[in-house]
Amino acid sequence: MRGPFTVEQVDRSRVTRRRITFFTLVFLFTSLATWFMADLLWRDGMMPLEWVVLVLFFILFAHIAVGFSTALLGFYVFNRERDPYRITRSIDGEALSDLPLASTAIVMPVFNEDPSRVFEGLRVIYRSLQLSGRLENFDFFILSDSNNPTNWIEEEVAWLELCKQLNGFGRIFYRKRRISINKKSGNVADFLRRWGRKYRYMAVLDADSIMTGESLIKLVAMMERNPKVGILQTAPRVVNGVTLYSRLQQFSNRLYSPLFLAGLNYWHQGESNFWGHNAVIRVAPFIDYCCLPELPGTEPFGGRILSHDFVEAALMRRAGWGVWLAYDLDGSYEEGPPTLIDSAKRDRRWCQGNMQHSWLLFARGFHPANRVHLLMGIMGYVASPLWMLFLLVSTIHTFRDVISGAYTHFHAESYTSFFGYMVEVPEALALFSFTLLLLFLPKIMGVVLALQNQRGKAYGGAFRLVLSALLETLASTLIAPINMMFNTKFVIYILMGQGVGWVTQKRDANDDTDWREAIITHAGQMAFGMVWGVSAFILVPSFFWWLSPVLAGLVLSAPISIFLGKASFGRQAREIGLFLTPDETEPPQELVRLQQHLAECYRHMPPLAPLRNDYGLLQAVLDPYVNALHVSLLRQRRGNREVRSYFVELRKKLLAEGPAELELREKMALLLDQESMIWLHEQLWKQPSEQLAEWWRLAMRQYNVLTATPVTALYR
Amino acid sequence: MELSLESLDTFRPKTGTLEQWNAAYVRVEDYLRAHRVQNRLHQSRLIQRVLVTAARLHEQRPSVDPATLAVEETDRLMDAWFGAVLGEKDLPHDRIATEGRVALLLADGLQRWPYVFLERGNLPAEFLQAVKQGSIKAGPDLEISSMVPREIDLGTITEAAGETLERIERLPVLRVLLLWGIFAGVLMTVFLATR
Repeated sequence: MRGPFTVEQVDRSRVTRRRITFFTLVFLFTSLATWFMADLLWRDGMMPLEWVVLVLFFILFAHIAVGFSTALLGFYVFNRERDPYRITRSIDGEALSDLPLASTAIVMPVFNEDPSRVFEGLRVIYRSLQLSGRLENFDFFILSDSNNPTNWIEEEVAWLELCKQLNGFGRIFYRKRRISINKKSGNVADFLRRWGRKYRYMAVLDADSIMTGESLIKLVAMMERNPKVGILQTAPRVVNGVTLYSRLQQFSNRLYSPLFLAGLNYWHQGESNFWGHNAVIRVAPFIDYCCLPELPGTEPFGGRILSHDFVEAALMRRAGWGVWLAYDLDGSYEEGPPTLIDSAKRDRRWCQGNMQHSWLLFARGFHPANRVHLLMGIMGYVASPLWMLFLLVSTIHTFRDVISGAYTHFHAESYTSFFGYMVEVPEALALFSFTLLLLFLPKIMGVVLALQNQRGKAYGGAFRLVLSALLETLASTLIAPINMMFNTKFVIYILMGQGVGWVTQKRDANDDTDWREAIITHAGQMAFGMVWGVSAFILVPSFFWWLSPVLAGLVLSAPISIFLGKASFGRQAREIGLFLTPDETEPPQELVRLQQHLAECYRHMPPLAPLRNDYGLLQAVLDPYVNALHVSLLRQRRGNREVRSYFVELRKKLLAEGPAELELREKMALLLDQESMIWLHEQLWKQPSEQLAEWWRLAMRQYNVLTATPVTALYR
Repeated sequence: MELSLESLDTFRPKTGTLEQWNAAYVRVEDYLRAHRVQNRLHQSRLIQRVLVTAARLHEQRPSVDPATLAVEETDRLMDAWFGAVLGEKDLPHDRIATEGRVALLLADGLQRWPYVFLERGNLPAEFLQAVKQGSIKAGPDLEISSMVPREIDLGTITEAAGETLERIERLPVLRVLLLWGIFAGVLMTVFLATR
């Protein structure tokens, strides 16, 4: 009798057939659309400019076709019986308590994220595992690279409080690296070098990740059942959105992504991808095969690999281990950026990392599927400047025709009778309709699937679901050209080796985008849209209307950014039932608990305004308990005389002049020096007031006055 | 010997000014509050005890600020108290102060037993047990692994491109010329395309 399903049983010839189907679809859609385009361009002769337009169109349409074909295959999977080749099948129907487990480290690298959110998230995961009765197999590691003193100290205090509250000493661990080499991947590698051998698996989480105990247990059990799988990725759902922008993102993620995920699993199979978090990794092969080398040259293209996840998946696969996507596993969540500008900032980081992958496209030994993942990652950003170029070249092409008089001759519209009226039929109507079909059909399929599965109620009812989808489509149409401009700028700046400057945020109590920030950030986009639009309108009004969706997004980018970044609008949308998701209407206990705990944390009184910026340093120096905790977590080091005299000067300066007079790196240096922290605490309390900066005098008088215990990240 | 509340009436330091002793009082009060000694009665009792000794010390060391002497005296009392509570004698000040405070923090000592801080004798057995039990462990025992970067053979095309780019990076003049060339090429293309 055949045993339970494992991915080893997957028929490789069927996987090949699936991939042939996928790429044939991409080829069919792309060639058909390119034929339409070539037909249009051919009418006034194929000059070099027309060829440029055609090549750009081919590349860009192929990119769209990849997404559409994935969704189409996903729709196919949903409309037949569930995919037999899915890794979750290896534990189908088994009770949670019977699933095989092994020692697993849950690692959460953090970097200056809100400590309350980090530790309350960890509490929820811990409690969820505890309630499932399988906690004994899991240890938790907070791996901090925070370089903001306040975040760092809050993390230490929150860690201790959490351990006390959950009786988690010996199971919840905290590590702060002295030197943050190689950012997140270096942080995880540091963990693996120290403790990796103790664990068979590690579940990598982001600071904003939530995973239910059930999902973690199932993931580990799937790894146990499939010993040749090296990485098992989940599909995190975007949750906890407050602003309109984040609500739009989580709505579209929840409604449309199941199609894409099912489609991805259909053709990825054991050559899937790693997205950096909410995944379980087999530790031993990861240590052996996935440590990343440096790329040739220097940044932005060379040096250390910034987007490590895709490359780690490729290396794991190269070593013969499978990488799977548990696309239908519930209980994996993450949060999205609250505003359009925050999203752009994240894209700026990802863009550079993905563009570095161009080095690896032809790397020897990589599986072709991994090369496709790398290429798609690059295209995710390079497509923007290509779109921009395509639109600009098309504009030049049209303007040239107008100037030469050819436009009227070659573009005479045809007419058709419609209910007795003669209606103009643009020549590009067929191509236009075909493009729209590919762009919007996945959205329609997502809605149909939700309604077909009687899930309309979970989205606020059928009417609200359809209305939300329409509004989301409108919003994404307006946002697309803004993102195109952002990404174009990022790609160009990266190619030139330049950094991108951002306006300092002046967020109000609701963390909304402020007008100043929006106008300065979007000024270039608005100006560009205006110039482009006005010239098009003057020269070729009909062309202007073709461009209008792009122009509208650009010209209105600042107001759109403000509007979508408003938390109040997001809350109103939720109240009237727009952009609701099943994770809000039928929330899992973990998300409910997280919100309740965070509400408690944020209810407390914040520190006095003048003390707020350096509150972490204040606590580490002034508070006897925080100081003792901090000192006991530091390693004792004795520097040479020169180093010690440097610290002596810094300490004196800190007490006499206050923290505002010290650079961030100086504050961090003091916080990392055990001897200095002991000295500072003692001297702060011993020195007569007149020898201390006014800031310290205020801190000593006000600390802990209005509350029984000082404010911490886990205040409750 | 326990001091009575009335002794505040008799607190007449022979050296130092009233302002200096007032500042010392405030300093010790802040210091105790930072230690979560919130109970005013207990706080006052401790402040008094500290100030009486500090006043005696100031007579011998009048050049030292009374606030400094008062905090030194508080630290001395704490070291002795932590030593007794933890059963750790003769540890240097740094260590006993750190260990004692961490132990107190872990046991929620002053929230659960608000009157015990710096009290001599008759400490509740439960408190002593709770304080002695507490220890923190930020990480498990190390089990070191070697994790060395894996070579990636970038392929002939990429290697050649890499070498060229590295060469260009080393020659800034060539890099600038190349950029000018690209810019001129773009201009030329736009020019030709719009003729």
